[in-house]
Parts: sequence; C-alpha cells; structure tokens
Amino acid sequence: MSNSVSRPDQAFAVPASAFIKAYQRHQIDWVVTVPDFVQLSIHSRLAKGDTGLSVLTCANENQAVQAAAGLYIGGKRSVVMIQNQGLYNCMNAVRAIGLDAHIPLVFAIGQFGREFSNLGADPRLSKRRMVSLLEPVLDTMDIPYFQLEHPRDVDAIDKAIETAYSRQHPAALLIGHYTSWE
Amino acid sequence: MAMTPIDACKAIQLVRGQAIVVCTMTSMNVLDTLAPNQALTLSSVPLMGGAAALGLGIALAQPDRKIIVLDGDSSLLMELGVLSTVVGPYPSNFYHFVFANRVQFNGNFALGLSGEGKADFAAHARAAGYRAASHWETTEDLSQLSDWLQQPGPRLVELEMEPSPSRLSADNPPAQTTDARFARMGQEAAAIRHSFGFESE
Repeated sequence: MSNSVSRPDQAFAVPASAFIKAYQRHQIDWVVTVPDFVQLSIHSRLAKGDTGLSVLTCANENQAVQAAAGLYIGGKRSVVMIQNQGLYNCMNAVRAIGLDAHIPLVFAIGQFGREFSNLGADPRLSKRRMVSLLEPVLDTMDIPYFQLEHPRDVDAIDKAIETAYSRQHPAALLIGHYTSWE
Repeated sequence: MAMTPIDACKAIQLVRGQAIVVCTMTSMNVLDTLAPNQALTLSSVPLMGGAAALGLGIALAQPDRKIIVLDGDSSLLMELGVLSTVVGPYPSNFYHFVFANRVQFNGNFALGLSGEGKADFAAHARAAGYRAASHWETTEDLSQLSDWLQQPGPRLVELEMEPSPSRLSADNPPAQTTDARFARMGQEAAAIRHSFGFESE
C-alpha cells in the first residue's frame, strides 16, 4: 500500500480547535463520551483541562445518552462524542430519551473505519457497512444530521447544536475523517 | 422481618426530602401506588437499565442536591458497567439502591435473571470503586437509611427482597401499553427542569 493511501489526508481533516471553539461558543458544559478513534485530537485537547469543558467517560453509549439527558435535566448542556458503531449500540436509549422524551441530544459521531478512497465521496457508498449504514439509520430514526467532510463544512458543528436545542430532539454531526491536531 | 418493595419505598419516601429520585420497574410501580405524580421523581421508562446514568447526569449538574437512584436488579445487570462510569466523577451526592428481587417483570409475570439471580451487587459496587456498599435484607435494616444518606456518596445498597406475586396469567393477560407510558419520562424531566428554574430552550 502506498504512503499516500495509508496516511490521513489533511485536506479532509477538521482541526480540533474548531470543535472546542464551537462548543465554547454554544455554552456546552460537558463532553460525554465513549472514546472515538476518529476524534483523537479532540480527546487530546480536552485532556489538557483548559477548555472549560468537563469530560465524562462512559462504559458504553447507552450510559452516555442517559448521562447527557441527566445533565440536561439538571441545566447543563453537553455533546455526546462517540463513533458510528457506538450509535448502533445505543439506539434504544436514543429512542427513549431523544425521541419519546424530547430531550435534546447533540451527537458528534466519528465515521470510524472509513476507507480513505471514500473520502470526498458519498459515505453511503463506502464499502464498510459501519460507515455506509450511519446515514440510513439516522434517517430511519428521524434524526437530522450534518456532514463534516471537509474543513469548509465547519459550520455544521453550529448547525447540529442549534438544531438539537431548538427542536428538543437529537441531532448528529457526522465527522468523516480523523480530526487534525491544530 | 423480610423486606418488601413497599417497605423500601415507604422508607425512602420518608427521608427523601428535596432529593431527586430516579426510579424504574418495581420501584416505579410501587411509588405509583404510594405517591402518584410525586414531584422531583424521574422514571426511566420504557428504558430498563437507564436509571443510574440518568441519575449520574443530574448529580453532576446539581452537585448540591442529593440524587437517589432506585434501580432494579435485572435493569442494573443490563448496564453493570455503569458502576464504573459512576466512580469516574465520584459524585458525593449519588445514592444507588438496587431492588434485588431476583426476577424480571416483578409483580407482572416473574421470569428468571441472567446468572440465575446470583449477582452480588454490593460486591460489584465495591469492586468498581464506590465509596461504600452494603447489603440490607430486613425492615430493621431500613432504619439505617437516614444516616446512610447523610454520608457522602457514591454509595450503593443492595436491598434483598422477595418477589411480589405475579398478577398476569392466561386468565388475566397483559393490557395494551398506554401512550402515557411513553410520554412519562419527558414530562417528568420537564417538571424537574422547571423545579430547578430551567425551561425548555
């Protein structure tokens, strides 16, 4: 495999700082997470402890959704930071809390396992079901989503947060490639 | 005297004060008979396994308020990893009670649990890193409740109790699940937010 295929493509990498700034701009208090390999640079940035964002690491994604709901009930805003297979793991919790109970949930979902040859193309055409199923699953659950495929899409972060809180509903930010370390 | 779910819920009702109570399954059904529409109560329904992490989130958002989680044994088995999630932030206002009747669908149609009900939840909590965990079996043990809630959490009590008689049978089949059951958690969440001074955004 050539180096150009095996290394992340920085042209598609959104900087971690863009997420942190957006979360601060929208008064996000907590990042509730089951760690995501796609968002390693954001995890690293959060771990420095100087962002004003608290981090709750959960054993699985059901707990992340439930804890995010509890935070909201107690008056705090959060982002649920997981990966695509994590969403598949917590669909019933999302149904109960986001859809039936109308509690806003902001998901930041990394497209883990995406083949680099699919970057810049439709994720539904990925050869990996872990990637290609994400948008159809969200469509089925009536959850709006915003693709973050390229640094120029960075306002998708704001749109996902604004949509979740204005609709009192889940909304998802789909992060198509490894975030960069700036 | 052996403890029943009614004994446990009555004791908790006496001492809860302004605590937020997050309940599910058996405790929810009993509280519905003892104190219907009780304020500051959140039901994890229909969502088995959700009570502890819901309570954890509220505990972190409102660190000056006590949070009492009334979990079920089959519910907690679904999310046993939540014990580890709780001890990460180590909330001192978090009190976790497990109604250990060793059946699923208690009071409706008792079915067996994974592990045939052998789980030791207090031991699991201690191993996960809870500040304290205990095992209570009698109504006399419930007299410790007020003192227990004055100690810092996270703490867990496993309440050993007999299953309630099953009411469903061929002659008394299950009724339709009501719409209200699906709306309930959202309504209770909104009411608790309102009590904290937060409205919908």
